[in-house]
Amino acid sequence: MQHLIFFLLVFMNIGFTSAQLKFALAHDSLRYMPIRINQEDSVSLLRFYISNIHIEQGRKIIWEAHKKHYLIDFTQNRLATNIVSGTGLENIKKGRLKFTLGVDHKTASQGIGEGPLDPIQGMYWTWQSGYINFKLEGVSSKCPSRKNRFQLHLGGFQKPFRSAQIIELQITGTRANVVFNIHKFLAEINLREAHSIMSPGEKAVSLMEHAKRCFYVQ
Amino acid sequence: MYNKSLLSILIGLFLVAFALKKRTPEPKSYIPTPFYRLPVFPTKNDTVALGRLLFYDNILSANNQVSCASCHNSYNAFAHTDHQLSHGIFDSVGTRNAPGLFNLAWQKEFMWDGATHHIEAQALAPLHDTKEMGSNIKALLSKLRASDFYRKAFYDTYKDTIINSNRTLKALAAFELSLVSFESKYDAVKTDNAEFSTQEKAGYKLFKQNCNKCHTEPLFTNGKYMDNNLPIDSSLDDKGRFLVTKQKEDRYKFKVPSLRNLSYTYPYMHDGRFTTLNHVLQHYSSNQNIKNKGKADLEKAIHLSFNERADLISFLLTLNDKNFVFNPAYSFPKKLKDYLIQE
Repeated sequence: MQHLIFFLLVFMNIGFTSAQLKFALAHDSLRYMPIRINQEDSVSLLRFYISNIHIEQGRKIIWEAHKKHYLIDFTQNRLATNIVSGTGLENIKKGRLKFTLGVDHKTASQGIGEGPLDPIQGMYWTWQSGYINFKLEGVSSKCPSRKNRFQLHLGGFQKPFRSAQIIELQITGTRANVVFNIHKFLAEINLREAHSIMSPGEKAVSLMEHAKRCFYVQ
Repeated sequence: MYNKSLLSILIGLFLVAFALKKRTPEPKSYIPTPFYRLPVFPTKNDTVALGRLLFYDNILSANNQVSCASCHNSYNAFAHTDHQLSHGIFDSVGTRNAPGLFNLAWQKEFMWDGATHHIEAQALAPLHDTKEMGSNIKALLSKLRASDFYRKAFYDTYKDTIINSNRTLKALAAFELSLVSFESKYDAVKTDNAEFSTQEKAGYKLFKQNCNKCHTEPLFTNGKYMDNNLPIDSSLDDKGRFLVTKQKEDRYKFKVPSLRNLSYTYPYMHDGRFTTLNHVLQHYSSNQNIKNKGKADLEKAIHLSFNERADLISFLLTLNDKNFVFNPAYSFPKKLKDYLIQE
């Protein structure tokens, strides 16, 4: 039983937790921060932007989310806002789900946004303007940093370090869980070296590319 | 009767159009189109007025003692004088000299290293910087919402009770965009309303030969990031644009500042190392600096005789815009002053 719970806990179900969901169904194990991944690693914060969420069939867009941007946040009091909805989702049998992990660079290059893009959300760099596309914080015994903290604030929208990633996943049936495998994400990065990434650059891009590979449909 | 009514309407429309045309500033033909739309009727624009209040109010800082105007003084063309490096909250000393704020609508990126890509985002940087205002947008909004003065000011501007980051930052940006400076003697000459003196003409010729490539008229900046061979200050080792782009070729490059209003914006360079224009010209005339920085953008020293330096400086002084610096529409707002006196 403990193993089953552990198995369920390492997978994060994205934003689709309640009966209002139109994009994907909630996973029964959706949990909020902090989460212990294993004996070495625990995660205290996981938030990221998703943008331009739509479903294609062939070259045609057959469904689009109501809003252009969502801030997915697994803090306990923010779970209710992790909803991606759109009209007619229940009619979709099969298609390619596409979305941008992060804020698309066109939006990022514009002025201050509202709602999920409001700087008050804590996902906007002030010292160098631009959005933090993906924010992951926690503690790992592998980290040589102060108090073994890791802080991965992955952003950057200007060339050559545009970090937002376009994700494409096949969905079938009328309901789909889009899952971010945080276990895989942490297991495949070297926290001994990449524990503090807080500016645009090669490392941020590389980690975003890695994060992209950690999404799948269930 | 029908024709008389129609004629009256047409005359009325003509008069309205004429009145509007008079009130809307005519763009000067030699000035390029700005990247940002300028606030319409800035002196009567509510958003600009709100931004002006915020700009001058210490409420922005954690200890309520530092405002934007603390480093960007209107009488110094919104630059910071008397200090090489600007200072902020609790007398913290920063790493750069605050640049003058004018003609921002013609800039694509902001700060000496272009770290800010949009003017609406710019205020977040000093607001959050521990050596400038030491605060954050959440704390600021809490203070604004708790203030009778600002609840009224926002209501007067937006006709509702919402005070949020979007409105706050956009109001600040609106005021900053309203700071336009094109009324110097140079501008008067360009619009055939004045003539250069003989010395100024000679200086203008020297300017075009030696300076215009980077300090391109009429903005007197090309808006690019360049290395002008400044010896590295090891106490700062400020790598400028490289800190933003991480590209090796951007090391020690800084945004070319405008040469307008130089009499008001000393000291000069990103770290305020030169207090006079003569010091600046001395730097540019030094062969030593060229030798040491082989890959810099300045390929050769600018050698000027004593008289030529005087002529060049004479021309540079024609870029001062007294009307801008002493414009009461840009200075400390009376409304805020009256409120603070009451407090």
